[in-house]
Amino acid sequence: MRKFDTFIRHQKYIGVTELAAQAASILAESGPIQERGTVSELPDERTLRYYLSEGLISPAEEKQGTASVFGYQHLLQLLVVKKLQAEHLPIRKIRELVEGRSERQLERLLGVESTAKEGGQESGKGEALRYLESLLMRPTEAASAPARISQPLLSTPRSQAAPSPPQSSEMAAKWERIEIEPGLELHIRGDYHTPRDTKGLRYVAQRIMRIIETHRSKPGK
Amino acid sequence: MTQSTPKLELITERAKLVAGREQTIDILVRITPPDISPAAKSRPQLNLSMVLDRSGSMNGQKIARAREAASYCIDQLLPTDRVSVVIFDDQIEVLIPSQPAEHKAGLKETLSRVYARNSTALHEAWVRGGMQVSEHLMDGAINRVLLITDGLANVGVTSTDEIVSQAMNLFKRGVSTSTIGIGDDFNEDLLLPMAQAAGGNAWHVERADDMQRIFGVELEGLIAQFAHTVSMGMVPADGVRVVDVLNDFETTETGRYALPNLQVGLPLEVVVQLRIPAQATGAHLRLLDVRLGYTPQEARSAEIVKEALRIEFAEETEVERLPVNHEVTKAARLLMNARARREAMAHMDAGRHDEAQCVLLSARMATQAVRASAPLASSAEVQAECASLESLELSLSNRGEDKMSRKRLAYGSYARRTGKLQK
Repeated sequence: MRKFDTFIRHQKYIGVTELAAQAASILAESGPIQERGTVSELPDERTLRYYLSEGLISPAEEKQGTASVFGYQHLLQLLVVKKLQAEHLPIRKIRELVEGRSERQLERLLGVESTAKEGGQESGKGEALRYLESLLMRPTEAASAPARISQPLLSTPRSQAAPSPPQSSEMAAKWERIEIEPGLELHIRGDYHTPRDTKGLRYVAQRIMRIIETHRSKPGK
Repeated sequence: MTQSTPKLELITERAKLVAGREQTIDILVRITPPDISPAAKSRPQLNLSMVLDRSGSMNGQKIARAREAASYCIDQLLPTDRVSVVIFDDQIEVLIPSQPAEHKAGLKETLSRVYARNSTALHEAWVRGGMQVSEHLMDGAINRVLLITDGLANVGVTSTDEIVSQAMNLFKRGVSTSTIGIGDDFNEDLLLPMAQAAGGNAWHVERADDMQRIFGVELEGLIAQFAHTVSMGMVPADGVRVVDVLNDFETTETGRYALPNLQVGLPLEVVVQLRIPAQATGAHLRLLDVRLGYTPQEARSAEIVKEALRIEFAEETEVERLPVNHEVTKAARLLMNARARREAMAHMDAGRHDEAQCVLLSARMATQAVRASAPLASSAEVQAECASLESLELSLSNRGEDKMSRKRLAYGSYARRTGKLQK
């Protein structure tokens, strides 16, 4: 089977109808169903609900109103089930093969080339990180007072200073950005006290060095 | 590396069952992970993010002990492990970005400057900790967020259901979460389900002094982890029915029971009740097939062990002469007590403190009866259980202790059901 593009990997399907339609269009293009030529073997809404009730497709993790929101994993599960059914495997056996499989394993079952070249670890890593990033970007959170983030680079000196109550932090909220070199910036908050002695300065410098070093040695960067 | 398998035993009270009548029996399913000492085997790598609450309520002893406990944790790590520390109140700060656990003095120095401050952005702090782990997700390692808090989520996402389901989704993507609740003011209805849904452990630290010990138990558990994604399936013979699983495990999408992670040196006891139709004397039947699925820590795919319960039916007089295995009675009783704790909680929540006490008292009586009938099997464990129930009854009579009592009930019940008992 062909390689799936990034679009398909990030596509969401609202309700079973959309998911069934996407799977049907992929199957119509390529795959075992088309060779057999019978339209009835394309997944419809009713079969999809049956698969869900049989645990062949895992339940949606998200909802939009009353509709379930499905993603890439669900699409892969549906395609694998269809493929295995075409090979006349019993439902029980199919369930064993599909249950608990990662996206990458499902892709392998389908014979789809994974775009994650770095291996299973990397694709897993991406999944977790992508998920968490999506949580931070939810609009509901942005609307309700979001927590402020301070970066590790500047955290050490500030936590030494007496904590300022939030209402008097107008000054504190002002940040100055200084570019050290292309790609590296220093942010300094208005109420930051420069360490008075060389020992203190050296400590800050060492922390910055360590952060840059660990950044450089990050795998895959 | 050759992987030895866990032992799966199906134990009945007596070696034979009485013929000629319908009956319900308890079966003790004991799962013993292979006995490799954690020192002998190369332990799994850890990729740990400690997410530490520094909100105002942590002021004083709590933050001081939490700092010490986190430092202690760093001391126990190997240079091949990764560690990060995220601290939060209404602001979130990545205090120590994920890095190999080297230069420990520097890391601990950084930690020592954490003081308590504002309100509690628990959810986003957890997300940030998760990101520290996810950026360096390690295959075959334990990738875990350890969330330490004494308060309620009151900034950002605060919905319990939402946070629990997100923790579960993150676990499906390879990062587990354990939670440590400190004192009596946090939300156990968030921290307990969160850890359970996220493949981690839930701990309650009653006193700040206890913090380091709990961190130690969590860390030991990580190092000794044998397998994760553990599930148990049961197929009874025709006419036989599984009536109950006393541990009250969640069931998976495919109808199997979701079991906690398996840990070396920590057998898991499950009690299953079977309803069996009357059988003829001399019948020898295969009553139940049990299938345990698990993913060993260093492996990537699931493995399975199977066991079947085969038993003979005999005349009552013959059965009664057979020795009794009191381990079964004891395990069933202790799990019933776990249920009693949850029942007491429900009474408490409805303002019926007397009834809650009553439930605990009857549980204690029943436990004492086990002790009396089987003095040999009633180890220090049964004695400790009686003492624990008694002190719960006592703390329930004091309205001022309500919040703490509820946590004691919740965590006591959870620890028994999952076999995650603090030593």
